[in-house]
Amino acid sequence: MSPASAGANDSDDVRAAAAGDRQAFQRLYRLHVGRVHGAVCRLAGYDHARAEDLTQDAFIRAWQKLPGFRHESAFGTWLYRLAVNVALMDIRARGADPVSTLDDEHLPDTGQTPFCAAEREELERAIARLPPRARAVLVLHDIEGWRHEEIGGELGMATGTSKAQLHRARGLLRKILGESS
Amino acid sequence: MNEFEWRRQLRDLRQPLAPRRDLWTSIDALLEDAERTQEPVPPHSHEPRRRRLLAAVGLAASLLLAAGIGWRAWQHPTAAPATERLQAGAHWKPADPRFAGAAIELDAARMELQLALQQAPDSPALQRLLGRTEQQQTQLRQLGRQAG
Repeated sequence: MSPASAGANDSDDVRAAAAGDRQAFQRLYRLHVGRVHGAVCRLAGYDHARAEDLTQDAFIRAWQKLPGFRHESAFGTWLYRLAVNVALMDIRARGADPVSTLDDEHLPDTGQTPFCAAEREELERAIARLPPRARAVLVLHDIEGWRHEEIGGELGMATGTSKAQLHRARGLLRKILGESS
Repeated sequence: MNEFEWRRQLRDLRQPLAPRRDLWTSIDALLEDAERTQEPVPPHSHEPRRRRLLAAVGLAASLLLAAGIGWRAWQHPTAAPATERLQAGAHWKPADPRFAGAAIELDAARMELQLALQQAPDSPALQRLLGRTEQQQTQLRQLGRQAG
């Protein structure tokens, strides 16, 4: 069963898990781990070992926070947001690539680099090479479909900064793909 | 390859991915340990305060932006139509989820162009790009209506 179709069916397990039923939580884990790990893995730049640690951390936090889950959104959506937040906290904790120091001198000249066709693995490798913050914005906006307002809220940056980071990330990605093609 | 096709490729990366090892065993063991030692849930007391601060900063920034746009419209009445157009066609959400990504992209592009036009209202290149973007939005809306 896909997480999308599971919404109506997993509420019993959510309630049972919130009351301490570990088996119900295991069923929720099995149902949602693919979506959660996919997003976390992309944010972690396809570093699988780190992504697995973060996914594990996300489920531990979900278990701890489940008694406070208010059923205002689908459990899958709540869990997904929580997992993304765990991955973003990891990026923040590493203190890499601060958003306030966009270095225009090092921006690639995106106007001269054409969009080029890329194989899936090539694209994933290129995304993995992006600086963490820029990668986070690109993954959340261009892959996960978030709006700049949401990204800014989660990453603690202005909407305009999110847009600037996205522009930078797309430029870098095109440059990387241009180099490898 | 055009930009939309390239971005479609990026969106296609959004797929579930199974971990390379089964994480449940270690999750279960960690939960078991925590239960045995009755480890309290780590406090997140800074989170609400941070969110309140962000909300206050966001509100202040919105008010400043609104005041700035108002001031500019009063100073340069010719800039007003761009602002009106900015609000007029904003945030169309197609019923068909297949069009959602393209609608968001076009919406964002149009807003960026309109903001740029407020800085350089006489730029023919920007006006041309805006016209083309709005045309693409109209086509997308038509497609959305046809899809039902």
